[in-house]
Amino acid sequence: MVLTADFSQRPLISLQHVWKRYANGTEALRDVELTVPEGDFLFLVGASGAGKSTLIRLLVREEKPTKGKIFVDGQELGRMKRRHLPSYRRKVGLVFQDFKLLPRLTAYENVAFALRVLGEPGRVVQARSREALEVVGLSNKHYTYPRELSGGEQQRVAIARALVHNPRLIVADEPTGNLDPATGWEIMQLFLQINQRGSTVLMATHNRDIVDVLRRRVVAIDGGQVVRDDRAGGYHEALAASALRA
Amino acid sequence: MKLWRHLLFALNSAWQSFWRSAAVSLAATATITLILTMAGINLLVGHTLAGVLDQYRARVSVISISVADDTPLTTVTDFEDQLRSDPRVAGVSYLSKDEALARFQADPVNADIARQIEGNPLAAKLEVRVGKLADVAAIDALARQWRGADRNDPTDYQGEFIARMLRLSAWLNLAGIVILFVLLLISIFIVMNTIRTAVYHRRHEIEVMKLVGATEWFVRGPFVLEGVLTGVLAGGLALGGLLLAYRPFVDRFHSDLFFVPLGYDPAFVGELARDVLVAGALLGALGSYIGVRRFVRV
Repeated sequence: MVLTADFSQRPLISLQHVWKRYANGTEALRDVELTVPEGDFLFLVGASGAGKSTLIRLLVREEKPTKGKIFVDGQELGRMKRRHLPSYRRKVGLVFQDFKLLPRLTAYENVAFALRVLGEPGRVVQARSREALEVVGLSNKHYTYPRELSGGEQQRVAIARALVHNPRLIVADEPTGNLDPATGWEIMQLFLQINQRGSTVLMATHNRDIVDVLRRRVVAIDGGQVVRDDRAGGYHEALAASALRA
Repeated sequence: MKLWRHLLFALNSAWQSFWRSAAVSLAATATITLILTMAGINLLVGHTLAGVLDQYRARVSVISISVADDTPLTTVTDFEDQLRSDPRVAGVSYLSKDEALARFQADPVNADIARQIEGNPLAAKLEVRVGKLADVAAIDALARQWRGADRNDPTDYQGEFIARMLRLSAWLNLAGIVILFVLLLISIFIVMNTIRTAVYHRRHEIEVMKLVGATEWFVRGPFVLEGVLTGVLAGGLALGGLLLAYRPFVDRFHSDLFFVPLGYDPAFVGELARDVLVAGALLGALGSYIGVRRFVRV
């Protein structure tokens, strides 16, 4: 089953004429307009240095836009006070190419860590961490350390950690980048399941096969600008548009 | 409940972090121990010197007014009352000529002279204890204006000695404060750098903490507690060393320099323990807070 995003509803993410210029003068984003409704599954594609990572950093509020506004769930990120950032970040699940697991902690502890830092009671931590690991198919790996897990399993732990506080938005930055194709597909299946459960997924990727096969919404970025936004596109069309622009 | 869980998490993290980077932690503990020991020595020496100064002050804050032989007793009594009513005066006692002689003869140092004395050449005295050392000069001036005072030798006031003592006391206080301040700055710098090393080792953990929505204080808390732990441990070690050395040092000093009224003060030990431990905890907390601030901004 494919969850269909409702574009008539208030968007979960809205970027309005967003510009980002770094201190060294690099213009990473230029007048980006993007609307992501609740429940959408969006691939963000583009060459290295196109501006994908900057857009993700803006969405998790590691950076502020130089110009324009970014709304996530009705909150304007540029005006958000620092003391409100932790509670905002709890609404967003983050998954990275390099997993960012803590090597000293077991798979279970890595997932539980995300709840412990919020001060959740032990029984809640236990129940939700177990549930998250079950969702990603790692119920039998609770006591395994990251170094003893395969790349795909490590990424599953990272996804479980992102899921554990039931975020409405999952932001994934090249989550299959370090994985072999077969494992990459397994991970994509997980993201699709997460999307079916109601979470909005925004994923930056270079994986053409995945984008082409899944035919989900594709936003292509080139030179800091959105050059294409297809509701059911493929990687090649995106690239072609970028090439045409160039 | 949540606060308690956060505190437990922070304590647990601080303890683990302290022992995980044991070499760095122990090096920092050793350095801070050394600094707190120096600060403790500074406090002990300051306290001991203050004790010595207090004894000298007690001595010189008593001035003895010689009463002229022909002064009627009523004049002496009137002046005694006048002195007693003066707020600067802590006490007055009268010593008759006979009592003055008896005291003189009782002192073994005066034995030879006492045997040669005929009659009683000593004057009666008014011994005035002045509350503040700085007021002794004013009371001396008052006494010199009193018509019943002996014209040749009205008082035994040692103005220059007292002025020197006041200056010495002020310099010692200032030197103590400066030394303490310098030691404090050094220890904050050391703790700050130690914690920065610990933060560097745990940067991935901090990054993950921030990304999953931990508050700044949640990230910072364990480091501040680790600093407190380091500081208190160093304070305990420094205190142990100081307490072991304090009494033997005073005894040794006392036997070598018996004329200096130096003494062991058990009451000060409690004060010293409090100061050194609290200083250790505060230094650790402050050093960590500054050291970690830049790294944990969400």
